Amino acid sequence: MAEILFYVLSAVALLGALGVILARSPMGSVLSLLGSFFALAVIYLLAGFQFLAAAQILVYAGAVLVLFLFVIMLLNLGQLGTRFQLSLAPLAGPRARLAVTVAVALGLVGLIVAQGAAFGAPPPVGDAGLDPLPELALGLFGRYSLPFQAISLLLLATMVAVVVLAKRQRKEDGR
Amino acid sequence: MNVPSEHLFFLSSALFALGVLGFLVRRNVIVTLMSIELMLNAANLAFLAGSRLHSAPGRPDLQGPLFVIFVITVAAVEAAVGLALIIALYRLKQSVETDSASEMKG
Repeated sequence: MAEILFYVLSAVALLGALGVILARSPMGSVLSLLGSFFALAVIYLLAGFQFLAAAQILVYAGAVLVLFLFVIMLLNLGQLGTRFQLSLAPLAGPRARLAVTVAVALGLVGLIVAQGAAFGAPPPVGDAGLDPLPELALGLFGRYSLPFQAISLLLLATMVAVVVLAKRQRKEDGR
Repeated sequence: MNVPSEHLFFLSSALFALGVLGFLVRRNVIVTLMSIELMLNAANLAFLAGSRLHSAPGRPDLQGPLFVIFVITVAAVEAAVGLALIIALYRLKQSVETDSASEMKG
């Protein structure tokens, strides 16, 4: 049952990703991305990562995509825009961009297949899942406390940067 | 769920490829940013699949989930800064197409 659900959700995630590219309006892209992220969250849950499934929904669907929607509505970009026009001159032409995508996909799949010997049966998932919160917290505040503090600094810097970027009213104002 | 971890990796690589395609093909900066988010999510899925692969029955591997937490944070930061830049670009050009910002002609 869970296996069938996994494959259905994979299809939903891929279709959502395809929708991001194919949608004519940015609004459609955001909604497709939302579907893709929700499918991914349920896949995390099925795979045994309970906390990260919740974090995925809270952070991506709850914060990041709302930010995208907010900007689209603020700038009134809901109308139809241009679709498949490439901006990178060296990659112009449909064949080149298809080739790049196929090459990236084949490279990644090849990397996985090359290491196929390492794969085995998945471990049984206990009640706490594969990301038990007490251990995660111990890791964050113990072994990984330095990256944790670095990322807090990054968040502070981001806050300052975004305020500075968004505060400027007119280009004549200078700084 | 008794799905082999390879299939998680396959899903991850397919999502990443779609993200690359969107990044290359679309001219709207907002959709470009969304493609980057898609690629970061594919990376998260790969981290989790690897973590699942290396977990022993009573001893889950925690490096994958911890890295995913960091990646989620960085993705949120990137979205915030990127959208602020988009707002600044829109103020300057009244447009969010990448072709409208071509002064530097890279």
